[in-house]
Amino acid sequence: MATVPKVEVGTDYKEKYGFFVPEEYVFKAKRGLNPEIVKEISWMKQEPEWMLNMRLRSLEIFRKKPMPTWGADLSVIDFENIFYYLKASDKQSKSWEELPPDIKATYDRLGVPEAERKFLAGVSAQYESEVVYHSLQEKLTQQGVIFTDTDSALRDHPELFKQYFGTVIPPADNKFSALNTAVWSGGSFIYVPKGVKVEIPLQAYFRINAENMGQFERTLIICDEGSFVHYIEGCTAPIYTTDSLHSAVVEIIVKKNARCRYTTIQNWSTNVFNLVTKRAMAYADATMEWVDGNLGSQITMKYPSVYLMEPGAKGDVLSVAFAGKGQHQDAGGKMIHVAPNTTSTITSKSISKGGGRTSYRGHIKIYPGANNCKSFVKCDALLLDDESRSDTYPYNDVDAENVTLGHEATVSKVSDEQLFYLMSRGIPRAEAETMIVNGFIEPFTKELPLEYAVELNRLIQLEMEGSVG
Amino acid sequence: MGFNAESLEELRGEPDWLRDRRQSALATYERLPSPSKTDEEWRRTDVSRFNPSDFSKLEHLDGLKLERPSGLPAGVILKPLRQAAMDHPELVEPRLFSLVHADRDRFAALHAAFFTGGTFLYVPDGVEFDQPVLGQHLSHEGGNSVLPHTLIVAGRGARFNYLDEYIAEDDAETGYRTGSTEIFLGEGSQVGYVAVQKWGRKVWHFADQRAELGKDSTLRLFNVTLGGKFSKTRVEASLAGEGANAELKAIYFASGDQFFDFHTLQDHRVGNTRSDLLFKGALQDVSRTVYAGMIRIEKHAARSDAYQANRNLVLSDKAKATSIPMLEIDNNDVRCTHGATVGPVDPEHLFYLRSRGIPLQTAKRMLIQGFFGDVLDRIPFEHARKLVEAELESRIG
Repeated sequence: MATVPKVEVGTDYKEKYGFFVPEEYVFKAKRGLNPEIVKEISWMKQEPEWMLNMRLRSLEIFRKKPMPTWGADLSVIDFENIFYYLKASDKQSKSWEELPPDIKATYDRLGVPEAERKFLAGVSAQYESEVVYHSLQEKLTQQGVIFTDTDSALRDHPELFKQYFGTVIPPADNKFSALNTAVWSGGSFIYVPKGVKVEIPLQAYFRINAENMGQFERTLIICDEGSFVHYIEGCTAPIYTTDSLHSAVVEIIVKKNARCRYTTIQNWSTNVFNLVTKRAMAYADATMEWVDGNLGSQITMKYPSVYLMEPGAKGDVLSVAFAGKGQHQDAGGKMIHVAPNTTSTITSKSISKGGGRTSYRGHIKIYPGANNCKSFVKCDALLLDDESRSDTYPYNDVDAENVTLGHEATVSKVSDEQLFYLMSRGIPRAEAETMIVNGFIEPFTKELPLEYAVELNRLIQLEMEGSVG
Repeated sequence: MGFNAESLEELRGEPDWLRDRRQSALATYERLPSPSKTDEEWRRTDVSRFNPSDFSKLEHLDGLKLERPSGLPAGVILKPLRQAAMDHPELVEPRLFSLVHADRDRFAALHAAFFTGGTFLYVPDGVEFDQPVLGQHLSHEGGNSVLPHTLIVAGRGARFNYLDEYIAEDDAETGYRTGSTEIFLGEGSQVGYVAVQKWGRKVWHFADQRAELGKDSTLRLFNVTLGGKFSKTRVEASLAGEGANAELKAIYFASGDQFFDFHTLQDHRVGNTRSDLLFKGALQDVSRTVYAGMIRIEKHAARSDAYQANRNLVLSDKAKATSIPMLEIDNNDVRCTHGATVGPVDPEHLFYLRSRGIPLQTAKRMLIQGFFGDVLDRIPFEHARKLVEAELESRIG
């Protein structure tokens, strides 16, 4: 890899915590947020004018919208003290070997090469704000599948991009989608043509690695009629001393008879604010599945949603949250039934420990005329000690006829009987508790590919031992 | 004309402390804005078309019919609330509006400023009686306000039942109605309380019920909501003593263009407490209902059990039920479950009955009766159970 010319580098970063890798930035926008920064980002990326205009318009919207007053306390975020764009190297690497060594070192810790070896799939790993490593399996190309980073997609597939970008989540949807649209960078772009079934999950790793670095990736997935894709997003981040903001936008279009599954394992370090808008549009007889695991971050506010646009559409959210000390996971799901004869389920499992707080927040909306819909929500919460907290806030609005709606929730602790049973068989208490917790989230883990399930079980184990903060 | 200091003059002959309290509540009413759609509690509950001043004529004093159980034990005080405020200030003053706060919102303030009729029941320590106390609140004419308030104090180990019935003489009358209740349960007391709301179908009704449960006390509270074009009821139990047990049940049957709103709170303030809530409703025609319930388990309230369920049977395509069951759990050593369902009559159940030759209408009626059956069994005393069964029967038809 050739030496990268430095345009501007943050100079005062020291190795502080975690597996920090010295930064080497091609370009780093100044802290703060104003039209000049946005223009600079767009110029650096050599974007078409419509995108620049959309960014500037979104910035205006972001400024006008008030901060949400519900959910977690977001008043501590200082938008002026965040870097809105970094670019780690000036060109895309085509293979693993070409990656800069320090970036490779970080990914080694995350196990990206293993994942690649195991899946032999396209890996699109995001380091800082832009995708630097990208490999696309030949078979996918042959099938006509586009799997690229979002910046390249804007350049290489402008028509497809312009047709769908911002249509599922318009900039004005909420304050953070406006922010993302103004300063977005990186993320994945997937297009699956008609009738194509992508057999192996497509994966991308996202990382935040600069102090005060906001990460605003933008993902757009289009599943054409009768297609199938499973996309996996996993996140980790080393620990820094000041708060970081992660505010992604994920838009998915699932056309007639298509199926899309989007799996997330979010494990940001516990000083990250994770404020993400994820939404899918499901058309006739299409299926959208969100599998959403939230383990890290200081505050997460994330409610993957499905708009059921045409009859026969089906939406599914399976959500797991783990909140340890100082964490608040405000997660859930939204199902918006626009068309009749649509169905949805939300299953939420949450675990609170060491003073952590998990909140399920959900919304089922059934519009007038969307008759004969069925929706079911189930929330289970496990409280591991008496300092922790769990909340359930389900909102249901039904304006249609002949709708069946169900909601169930339970909150409990690890049952003494289960513990007694395991301990009477010689299993130490801590291990028994871990087993019970792993059993509790099993409906979630069994939906994950094997290595993710293993990783998740290991993470739970670490959390249970208190070795991860 | 409106609700103002002048109209307070109508309520003469009360002790100074009550007068001051009414004035302060009136000031609160004048200060507070009408709830807006941005308040979570009022998002689905539209009061923009309700102007209390339209009904500022007070119907009072004769609006209450109290039936004293025969052979009421000595020491029991049962009298109209305003009378009790004069005769027993030491019992009434510290408690009146200490659970149902006047400054909670505009309507609570208005009720506190102008409450007219209502009952005071005081049952001393260790006193038990079987025959229920029956309080009937009647409205004789429309276009006015009927604002009764019930205050119940149960001494240690007291045991009794009480029924509040809100009755309209004319089903088509308009007006402003309330029916709020405060219940204090002393240690080990057992109180059964039933409120049957059958005001006219065009009135606006607001009710705040709140009970405070002492150690080892048991409350069985049952609501029946049938009347009003708009009916908003808050049911709140504050479990303040270990071993307290609150059973909060309700049935509602909405038809025509009725709108019912229920907000409930099970507040577990200490450990070893239990609450069990079940609200069941059926909706016909273009009626709408909103249920929002909260279970709150506070930090040190370990070993608490809380249950909350709301079931809605939607009998018409145009009726709409909204159900929002919420939990806030701050302690892990608890058992909490909640559930909510909204749906039509199960077509399989209907098919089963029809396949046995039962006509559609009869089968539907049987299913509705069955739907309410399990909760009717929980009505705490016979008199109220019979009353409710008869009311329900006439509505299911």
